[in-house]
Amino acid sequence: MESMSWSVAGPAVGAAFAASLVEVVEAFTIVLAVATLRGWRPAVAGTGAALAVLALLVLTLGPLLDRVPLHALQLTIGVLLLLFGMGWLRKAVLRSAGVLALHDEDAAFAAETIVLRQEAEKNPASLDWIAGLGAFKAVLLEGLEVIFIVIAVGAGRGMLGAAALGAAAACVAVLAVGVVVHRPLSKVPENTLKFGVGVMLASFGVFWTGEGLGIEWPGGDLALFVFAGLFLATGAGMANVLRRPAAEVAR
Amino acid sequence: MSLLKEVLAELFGMFMADARLSGAVLLLVGAVALLIDVAKVDPLVAGAALLTGCLMIVAAVTAATARRR
Repeated sequence: MESMSWSVAGPAVGAAFAASLVEVVEAFTIVLAVATLRGWRPAVAGTGAALAVLALLVLTLGPLLDRVPLHALQLTIGVLLLLFGMGWLRKAVLRSAGVLALHDEDAAFAAETIVLRQEAEKNPASLDWIAGLGAFKAVLLEGLEVIFIVIAVGAGRGMLGAAALGAAAACVAVLAVGVVVHRPLSKVPENTLKFGVGVMLASFGVFWTGEGLGIEWPGGDLALFVFAGLFLATGAGMANVLRRPAAEVAR
Repeated sequence: MSLLKEVLAELFGMFMADARLSGAVLLLVGAVALLIDVAKVDPLVAGAALLTGCLMIVAAVTAATARRR
């Protein structure tokens, strides 16, 4: 952490927090659907099992990161961040423009409930098991994305701890709000978060890819803010240019 | 087995959700690496090409997707 600069640590923690918030909200919706239909036992069991698998993955693969040469690590993570971050930005721009429909947590909750009910009709004896597996899959799949984001924004400059803290804060925030409201967190402005996270991850992607290729960015870490400004301007500009009337989106 | 398939599909989808975007990014990074290592272009110029290329890819893939829908 000695080489940590707050101009990188701030965006890293912020990106890890916001991206994890999006993923944890999605996982929470499924876990809540399971709990509503079958009670908290299978929901908690599935969630706990998935968290155990994720922890095992981190403990097994985490130490290997230290063995990868820094430039190779920066280049690999940089390219993966470009693919992931620009993918999020693309989707957020298209949703913002009305070309793609917005993600709806209430609809996701209803869809998961229907799937579980159909499974219950087919196989009533093993419904607890099926419900637990649903929670397990949701937490495992969204958790994998959280782990990647934490590694991607944290590993390049020894900020894994700070990024993990951001992700943990997102989990606590979602759980705290979820326990209180006890319904899908559909009020979370998911596309705005995704837009911001896409901008930050794509900026980190350009930064690490460049450093991995031996480019010394002028201004050092501060170049990240310039990249973020340019990605934001391009994304917002494209959303504006491509914007469609609401009636057309509904069709 | 189906769970493993879903996990692998999720991981693949994380990075390859849009084939054109992924292909363009990989081509761009390869081209920038060649500019630096083979053509011996000033790394800062190559860096500018990387940044500009990424911004152009975002604009192009969003416009192309919107046109198709």
